[in-house]
Amino acid sequence: MIINLPDINGRIKMNNKKRLILELLLIFVLFAAAGCSRKDKEPGRITICFAFHDLETEYWVAAHKAITETLKARNVKVLQRNGHQDANRQLEQIRDAIAQDVDGIIMIPQDGESAVTIIGEANKAGIPIGVFNRPPANRSNPALVVVADNAKIAEQTVAYMVKTASQFNRKMTPLILVGDLGDQNAIERRNGFYNAVKAHPGLFKEPIEVPTKWDAATTLANLEAALQVEPGVNFIFTSSDFLYPQIKAVLEPLGKWKPIGDAGHVILGGLDGDSTAYMLMKEGYVDATGVQDLFFEADAIMDALLGAIQKGQARPEKWIQDPGFALTQENMAEREMDMWGCRILKQAEAGKAQ
Amino acid sequence: MPGEIVLSDHFVLVITILYFLLIWAFYPHMTGRRNIANLFSNVWPLLALVIGQMFVLIVGGIDLSQTSIMAVTSVLGAMVMAGRFDPAKFEQNPLWGMVFSEQGGLLAGSGWAVPAAIIIMLAVGVVIGFLNGLAVAKLKMPPFMVTLVAMSFYSGLAIYLTRSENIMHLPDSFIAVGKGSLGPVSSAMLIVVTLAVLAFIILNLSILGRWFYAVGQNVRTARVSGVPAARVVILAYIFSGFCAGLGSILYSARLEAGRPTLGRNLLLDVIGAAVIGGISLYGGKGRLLWAVYGVLFFVVLDNSLNKMPLQFYSIDIIKGGVILLAALLDSLRTRIAARQTAAGEIA
Repeated sequence: MIINLPDINGRIKMNNKKRLILELLLIFVLFAAAGCSRKDKEPGRITICFAFHDLETEYWVAAHKAITETLKARNVKVLQRNGHQDANRQLEQIRDAIAQDVDGIIMIPQDGESAVTIIGEANKAGIPIGVFNRPPANRSNPALVVVADNAKIAEQTVAYMVKTASQFNRKMTPLILVGDLGDQNAIERRNGFYNAVKAHPGLFKEPIEVPTKWDAATTLANLEAALQVEPGVNFIFTSSDFLYPQIKAVLEPLGKWKPIGDAGHVILGGLDGDSTAYMLMKEGYVDATGVQDLFFEADAIMDALLGAIQKGQARPEKWIQDPGFALTQENMAEREMDMWGCRILKQAEAGKAQ
Repeated sequence: MPGEIVLSDHFVLVITILYFLLIWAFYPHMTGRRNIANLFSNVWPLLALVIGQMFVLIVGGIDLSQTSIMAVTSVLGAMVMAGRFDPAKFEQNPLWGMVFSEQGGLLAGSGWAVPAAIIIMLAVGVVIGFLNGLAVAKLKMPPFMVTLVAMSFYSGLAIYLTRSENIMHLPDSFIAVGKGSLGPVSSAMLIVVTLAVLAFIILNLSILGRWFYAVGQNVRTARVSGVPAARVVILAYIFSGFCAGLGSILYSARLEAGRPTLGRNLLLDVIGAAVIGGISLYGGKGRLLWAVYGVLFFVVLDNSLNKMPLQFYSIDIIKGGVILLAALLDSLRTRIAARQTAAGEIA
């Protein structure tokens, strides 16, 4: 049950203990001397803690890259912290960063409610904080916030899909791949989908909801099961573009992965604006995708935060709206370069060509 | 001497102190008032969970459902005491108008709201623990399977009950349970130290404590010796559920919300801290002090990694590596102890 030390010689054991305590004391003094002679912060250099909830989609990866690389290019020291989709862990990480006297914080919160609490911690410490893409649940604590209008972008995207569907003169069977409903963005996108679909009750059967938990394997399994039960699905909206490979993997064996114009084409749309969605739109498989302006959002939050640090503002408050837009087959020729996924792809192609 | 240190009950504490000093040499903020306060505020709720997990590990089980118990109790408690519910978020909820409404939860505004919510959170933890224990002890189901399924079920239930919405507007007196203090002592510390004292009394000063170890070391021998093994196992899971309920109170209060995803990724921390402390995954071995040391080391490690300009993935790799190292050390300690016992017997 419990490890018992062999009591060979009490006196020797006691001497050993004293020696151990003395050695520990000596080490303590040495480290204390070393510790007191150092400073955490580099003088004249701004330190920013960039705390994000996770990097599960191309959008977050691209946002993470844009923010960290731009900050480094501006000679800002960046402390990156991954909360792994855990609000409490993110709170602890940001408290640690505050204890380290960082100059500012950029946060992609796990959700709007935890964002309020965490902003409160930063406010109390007098450290300016910027919130990227996921807004706090209320404005009780001041912060710099950049946010896309997810419900509106989703609604615009689905509205285009509805317009396409109305040309077929038959009742459609819609399906939505719902994100993790612990995430406010997933809830907003779902709301946007329903706003557009419910505006045309005569055109649609009851929508089928397929939970994804923002996980590719879960999506694949659940979508397969849903299409076995209801093979007549002909209208799919994915709450995130990163799930297109799973949609293709399910539709292709069923003979339903067809480009626009072919009989049996499933009307497809999503939201994010990543490179996969761009390619699929170009190839004619996807009808529309909602686009968040990632680069605008990243630049806006960094400019606002660095500006606040330079002005010495401890609790700056500003809400910056990214209106986003729906990239559709109709407006693609004019607006594709406004899609961050397209720009990333073209930059990569240009890099390869050089 | 090195073997003696490795075998000592205080080995993990020694390692923690040395590690803390090493990090302090590079990051002076480690000993800053704010950082020390952070360290301790992170210790208390995690310790509550690890103490509960320790009881289950001692009887040779494992409780993977602790975090989902936290989630479900967090939302149930909030549904009782929250002062307001946003209709835009909750109007579609099946419990709207029955359990809660725009005016708040079941007992919103009443002086009994917070005590009742706390009692419900603890009671639900106890009931879920009881059901887990019953399945393990009476139905002879593997603890891993029972608690894994329970984790999935109660996580889903928490999401279902709230439609995945967090419940805000908790009363200030509840938030004070996790964030307040009585003089220089935080309320979380008072609560968890009381829990630790209770756990110490059960494990070290009662017959029940001996039964826990006996069942964990060899359940057949324990049964033959007259230990009511099934009841002991059920009690261990009940205690774990109770501790999860308590952890839920502390975490919900510090996050100021009832959260259906509360503790979603906390399980590795709980089991990792227990293993680092030296509590055996094979049962029959564990002490309260080891749980405290394990949590201390884990929290100091986490805190120090947050200080370093590391890539985020390196932090995960290091944490995983340390837990693995702790498991290896556990097996090394067991081997050294066995060798010394054998040497003692020969002499």
